[in-house]
Amino acid sequence: MILSLLIVIPLVGALVVWLPAKAMFRLWLLWAMSLGHALVVASFWLRRPVPEWQGYLVLDPLGLILLSVVSLLFLFVSFFMIGYFQHEHSGNRTFTSCLFCLLSMMTLVSVSYHMGLLWVAIETTTLFSAPLISFHRNWETLEATWKYLLVCSVGIALALMGTFFLAIAAHDAHTLLLPAILNGASSLSLNWLKLSVIFLFVGYGCKMGLAPMHSWKPKAYGHATGMVTVLMAGGLTQCSFLALIRVSQICYKSGLSDFYASILIFTGILSLVVPAIFLLGEKNIKRSFAFSSVEHMGLLVLGLGLGGVGIFGALFHMINNALAKVVMFLTAGSMAQKYGSSNAHEVRGVIHIYPVTCVFLLLGLLAGTGMFPFATFHSELLIINAAIITKHYTLAGIIILCLAVIFIGIARLVLEFVYGKPTEPVLAKKENLFINITIASAAVMLLVLGLWMPAPLNRVLHEAVALIGA
Amino acid sequence: MMSWIDVSCILAVFLALSLLATHRIVGMIKIFALQSFFLSLVPLFMSAGAISGRTLTLSLVTMAFKAVLAPSILFWTIRHISMRSEVKPILGFGTSILCGSVLIAVAFWISLSLRLPGKLVPSLILPCSLATMLLGFMTMVTRTRAITQVLGYMVIENGIFLFALSLLDAMPVFIEMGILLDIFVAVFVMAIVLNHINEEFERTRGSSSRPKWGESN
Repeated sequence: MILSLLIVIPLVGALVVWLPAKAMFRLWLLWAMSLGHALVVASFWLRRPVPEWQGYLVLDPLGLILLSVVSLLFLFVSFFMIGYFQHEHSGNRTFTSCLFCLLSMMTLVSVSYHMGLLWVAIETTTLFSAPLISFHRNWETLEATWKYLLVCSVGIALALMGTFFLAIAAHDAHTLLLPAILNGASSLSLNWLKLSVIFLFVGYGCKMGLAPMHSWKPKAYGHATGMVTVLMAGGLTQCSFLALIRVSQICYKSGLSDFYASILIFTGILSLVVPAIFLLGEKNIKRSFAFSSVEHMGLLVLGLGLGGVGIFGALFHMINNALAKVVMFLTAGSMAQKYGSSNAHEVRGVIHIYPVTCVFLLLGLLAGTGMFPFATFHSELLIINAAIITKHYTLAGIIILCLAVIFIGIARLVLEFVYGKPTEPVLAKKENLFINITIASAAVMLLVLGLWMPAPLNRVLHEAVALIGA
Repeated sequence: MMSWIDVSCILAVFLALSLLATHRIVGMIKIFALQSFFLSLVPLFMSAGAISGRTLTLSLVTMAFKAVLAPSILFWTIRHISMRSEVKPILGFGTSILCGSVLIAVAFWISLSLRLPGKLVPSLILPCSLATMLLGFMTMVTRTRAITQVLGYMVIENGIFLFALSLLDAMPVFIEMGILLDIFVAVFVMAIVLNHINEEFERTRGSSSRPKWGESN
C-alpha cells in the first residue's frame, strides 16, 4: 500500500495546486509533501516495504538509493523555492504542478520492477520536465525546451524499441518482470538480447546525457532555472542510470557482461573527453556546469562498466553527484537571479558584493570537481581504483588527465566570477536565508559523507552491489 | 488473417514513404492519420477470428489516440500558427523517394538476419516496422519545420507500435495503455511548446535582440 500511496499522493498534490490559493501556499504545500515523502523514505532504511501490485512495484537496495536521492533533492529544491519565489513575480501554478508529477514519476522509476513500466515512468518524467525548462518564457528557454523534448523523446523511443527486443529475447518468460527475466536469463536469445541492450543503452543514455548524445544538455541546463537543473542533473539523469543498471543485471545473468561493459567503458571515456575539450573555451557558468554533469554521468557508467569496487563507487557517486549538483546549480541559479545573467563578461567580482554566495560558488567548484574532503573525491577515487585493479592502466591515466583538465576548465571560469573586476548586479537582490540554508546544508552533507560513511549506507551500498553481481 | 496483417504492414510503409515525399503539412497530417488508422486495425487481424475484449480495447484506444486525437491536435496547432506548407525541403520529391526506397531495402536486408520466435516467423511485421521507423527518422532529419519533426517522431512511434503488436502477451494491458497515453501526451506537450514558440516569435518580430533559431548559446 505504502509504495502506491507514495506515487499517488503527489499526483493529488498536482491537482490541488490548481485550486484558487495564494502562490506561497503552493510552495509550502510542495515543501510539506517533500518533507512527508522524505520521512517515509527514511523509514524504508529501517524496514523495507513489501512488494506491491503482484511484484510490479518492489523497492530493492538499488531503488532505495535512487529514491532517497530523489527525495532529498525535492526536499532541498522545495525549500530553496520558498526563498526564490520571494523575488519572483511570474506565476508558479504550472511549475509546482509539474514538480508534483515529477516527484510521483521519479518515485515510480525507483520502485518499478517491470521494464515496460520503467519505460513509461521515465518517458513521463521527460514530458513533465519539459514545461519546467521554459519557466521564464523567452526565446532561448523555448529553444532549449524544444531541443530537450525532441532529442529525449526520440532517444526514449529507441529505448522502447529496446524494451520490445528484450521481450522477444525473453519470449519464453512471457513477461518483462525483472525477477522472471533474471531467473530465465540462461534461456534468453542472445542475438535479440544484444540488439536490445544496444537500443536500451542508446535510448536511456540519451536521456542521461552521455556523450555523444549530450547535445541537449548545455542548452537545457544553461537556460533553465537553477532548481529545475538540480532536479534534472541530480534526479532525472540518475533515473535513467537506474535503467542502465537494470540492463546490467540482465547482462550479468545471461553472460553478456563483457559485451555491455565494453559499451559502458567506451561511452564513459567519451563522456569524460568531450567535456574536457569543450570546458576550456566556455564562458557561461551554467553551461560549464552542464558539461560537468556530462562528466559525472561518464564516471557513473565507467564505474558500472569496470565492475567490482567500481560499482560501489558508481552507486556512492549517485548520492554525491546529486548533492554536488545542489550546491553548484542552486548557487549558479541564485547568482543568475541577482545579475540577470550567468555569462562571464556580465558577472564578475561577486565576492565584493555577495560574499556568502561566493563561498558557495567556491565550495561548488571543489565539490563538483571531486576535491578532498568532499565525498565526490572518494567516489571518483573508487572508480579510478577499479580501473587500476582491473589492469586498465591507460584508462586510469585518461580518467585522471580528463578530470584534471575539467578542473582547470571550471576553476578558470569560477575564479573569474569570484575575483574578477567587479560588475554591478542588474537586479541587485539581497542574500536570501532560505536559499543560503539549502545550499549550506547540501554542502555540509557532502562534507560529512566525505569524512564518515554511515553504517546503514555502507550496508545498503554493499547489498546493491551484490544485486548487480558483477 | 496473416495476409491482412501483411497488407496493413505494407500500407504503413507505403504511407510513411508518401509522407516523406509530401510537402503540404495538411497532407502530411492526413497521411499520418490514415497510417495510424490502418495500424490500429492490426490487433483485430492478429487475433484470428475470435476477437477478445482486450484486442478490441487496444484497437479502439489506438484509433482514438493516434488516428483522431493526435491529428486533431496537430491540425489545431497549424491553424493557430497559420502555417500551410514547408518553406523549402532539403531534399526534393525524387531524391526523397529514392532515399526512402534505399532505407526500405536496408530494413528488409537487416531483418533477414533476425529471426522472430514463435508463430510470427513468416510475417512482414519486422521488416515493415523497421522500414517505417527509418522513414520516420528520414522525415525528421530532412525537414526544417518543427511540426514536420513532430510528424517524423509520430511515424517512428508508429513503426515501434507495429513491432509491439507482435508481443501482445509480454505486456499487460495497463502498460500498453500507459505507452499509448505517454506518446499522446508527448504530442500534446510538443504542440503546446510549438504554440509558445509561435507567440514568442510574434512578440519579438522585427526586434534585433532576438537570436536566430539554433544560433543562441
